[in-house]
Amino acid sequence: MPSDNLPAALDDVRVLDLAGEIGQYCTKLLADLGADVIKIEPPEGDPVRDLPPFYHDEPDPEKSLYWLNLNTNKRSATLSIADAEGRKLFEKLVATADVVVESFEPGYLDGLGLGYEGLIKIKPEIILTSVTGFGQTGPHARFKAPDIVGVAMGGIMWLAGDPQDPPNVPPWRQGYICASIQAAAGTMMAIYHRDVHGEGQHVDVSMQEALSIAQETAMQYWDMLQQLRNRTGAGTILPISIPGIGPYECRDGWVYGFVGTPGGAPWSDLLQWMIDEGAAEDLTEEPYHDFCMNLNMRFLTGLMRDPASIGDKVKTMNHIEQVLRRFVAGKGKWEVYEGAQRKRLLFGIVSTPEDIAKNPQLQHRKWLTAVDHPELRDTLQYPGPPYRLSETPWAIRRRPPLLGEHNAEIYGELGVRVDELERLHAAGVI
Amino acid sequence: MSGTKMPLEGIKVADFSWFGAGPICGEHLATYGATVVRVESETRMDGLRGVMPFAKEKTGYNVSGYYNNYNAGKLNLTLNMSTDQGQELARRLIAWADVFLTNFTPRVIERWGLTYDKLSATNPQIIAAYVPMQGYDGPHRDFLGFGAVLTPITGYSHLSGFPQRQPFGLGTNYPDYVINPGHTLVAILAALRYRRRTGKGQHIECAQIESSVCPLGTAIFDYTVNGRVQERAGNGLPYAAPHGAFKCKPRSEGSSAPADERWIAIACFSDAEWQTLVEAMGNPDWALDSKFGSPAGRKQHETELERQIASWTADKDADDLMEELQRRGVAAGVVQSAREMLADEHLKERGYYVYLDHPEAGRTAYDGPPLKLSKTPGKLRSPAPLLGEHTEYVCKEILGLSDEEVADLMVAGALQ
Repeated sequence: MPSDNLPAALDDVRVLDLAGEIGQYCTKLLADLGADVIKIEPPEGDPVRDLPPFYHDEPDPEKSLYWLNLNTNKRSATLSIADAEGRKLFEKLVATADVVVESFEPGYLDGLGLGYEGLIKIKPEIILTSVTGFGQTGPHARFKAPDIVGVAMGGIMWLAGDPQDPPNVPPWRQGYICASIQAAAGTMMAIYHRDVHGEGQHVDVSMQEALSIAQETAMQYWDMLQQLRNRTGAGTILPISIPGIGPYECRDGWVYGFVGTPGGAPWSDLLQWMIDEGAAEDLTEEPYHDFCMNLNMRFLTGLMRDPASIGDKVKTMNHIEQVLRRFVAGKGKWEVYEGAQRKRLLFGIVSTPEDIAKNPQLQHRKWLTAVDHPELRDTLQYPGPPYRLSETPWAIRRRPPLLGEHNAEIYGELGVRVDELERLHAAGVI
Repeated sequence: MSGTKMPLEGIKVADFSWFGAGPICGEHLATYGATVVRVESETRMDGLRGVMPFAKEKTGYNVSGYYNNYNAGKLNLTLNMSTDQGQELARRLIAWADVFLTNFTPRVIERWGLTYDKLSATNPQIIAAYVPMQGYDGPHRDFLGFGAVLTPITGYSHLSGFPQRQPFGLGTNYPDYVINPGHTLVAILAALRYRRRTGKGQHIECAQIESSVCPLGTAIFDYTVNGRVQERAGNGLPYAAPHGAFKCKPRSEGSSAPADERWIAIACFSDAEWQTLVEAMGNPDWALDSKFGSPAGRKQHETELERQIASWTADKDADDLMEELQRRGVAAGVVQSAREMLADEHLKERGYYVYLDHPEAGRTAYDGPPLKLSKTPGKLRSPAPLLGEHTEYVCKEILGLSDEEVADLMVAGALQ
């Protein structure tokens, strides 16, 4: 099936993809590693096809950029699994498959006879991966869980945002993404185990659990010290702002500093940079100079342990902060980012999507990936690989499928005749 | 659970990683059965060992909850890679291993002789996973950064939060915890499977910049296709309203302390869900106004909609409200703090958090297995190791050194 000759890690694996939005990044990861992912869409199309943004802002089920990005390398077959005839077709497909990925409310597939117990009667070594908000068991298992509910109940939303605002939802469905990544890992562990021992199993992924570890240290702060980490906005865990740490506005955007922390050059190097460019103002004088020379992790750790110790130093720190803000404000964001990094000072550019598309490093590594769309008479620049494998590379081998594009091919393989396909289509089964 | 099968049983991992992204990947491998030897050095220990929180009234480099949460189930070997003997021992560990894992910078890896060409010369079947910030080639190859800087570089900070705020990010080093370790894990599992089929190892590079931008792919795609630069837009979605967090009754009556805040996330995607919410609110007059009668209308008047809903939730208990709304079929969830996560009855019933007894930090909570496998469940088999806790064990039992050899290496300073 691959259009090139590169081997793929999963090129002998067939996945039936029943997943809604929460699981589509999982099946994309599998498909981009070479699995034959058959996306089973309801006859009217996957609802995610209707979500923005669209190619040239033209709402159309074949033009959702969100959907396209999540469905590279997959084939599409339409099928109503709730229909008795549809269920029969699905069972035939299961017999040819290694993995089924789904995200229905727990119990829904059981009701159709297509839960794990049903599937193993068709194929004993099948792997069923279920990706839902709260997993298959427990009192919240049937809760409705769009992304926002997952990031709320999973603890990461509590930590994000300015204290004056409501807690922030992370951008672009990170709850779904994290659940999907864990689901892909779980599916691949189950495949590995099946390869070795010949038995399949049920993989149960909860978005809430998938996200918990992304609370950073908040869980441990409460468990060990009964201290609660709250959202701090542009501030840090400390109640004061630390010169060199946080967002700084430039002429054309923002950069983010993390100077004084281990691994990077010390604050004294930042001061030297400001001196070299004639922008240090009075920071070469006391008490500022001495302070700049000692703004390091040890100092910060001391502050964290005893915030009150800062006392009269606040004025000094605020002044240093203002001088630094003036220095950065006169520069461009790329100039600060690349200039600072060449001095091994920890600054990062606050990238916009445009900055990412134009990032010299990503361009050098040809991260953006061109995919031809003959139906659009266009070639689109897709987001590229999350990883590079030397022997079994990530690749976009086929553009995302049109709705039902592979019906004839897939059902043909099952021995369904053309006239039968036409009848099933007319009956609304496929 | 002894005797329970683990899917990665028999897989051997040389874990030369530090901080977040690398060690978490190594921990997941250990959780599902791999033997993971975490290599550290007294001369260059994992920076997280020095980062708070520390177990109450404890000091030292073995009691950081930050470090410990990412290293359960591993063996710990201290090795001074600045010594020839240390590097030689590292080669023996590479010869033993199926998987090598590191997120040290390219410069350090080159200095230590741990590049892929050297590793594969020692062990042609090795799967070597490198997780650098920017990758091993390109103009920014040697740029520095931890998650705090990676979050802005990869677009999360620009796209997070309300428009009038600075781009401060998500309050954590977000990509460090699931995105980068998770992608690395997927790549390693793919390579393990390929090796089982063909006998071939391979080189993996999971550059954190590339891994981290993938989850924001649609925003980048919108730029490359439509030329649109998406901006941060608060908690809204273009096709759902309400879609946000609403303040509930504080934990303590009348308190305005941040730690006492309680919020509930509520989302309506369809008219039916909105109607159900209106009923739950008791059909107030404002909600029956025709301007809220369609998704477009609710979106257009979202500010007023949110204000009204917030005034309704203000005196409600967040948990009760969530249960009530969910019972009716409206998507709702408490914005849980870590305190609430640890007390969450649902997570308790599923056994998510695991409490382990650590010889220095005492009994503390760990994030449990991130997913459940019905026949080969994962398990945190031991608490995070002390620095150097298994140095002798690894040298003797895994690398086959004699007592004399171990003693010589100790004297030479190679095992620090």
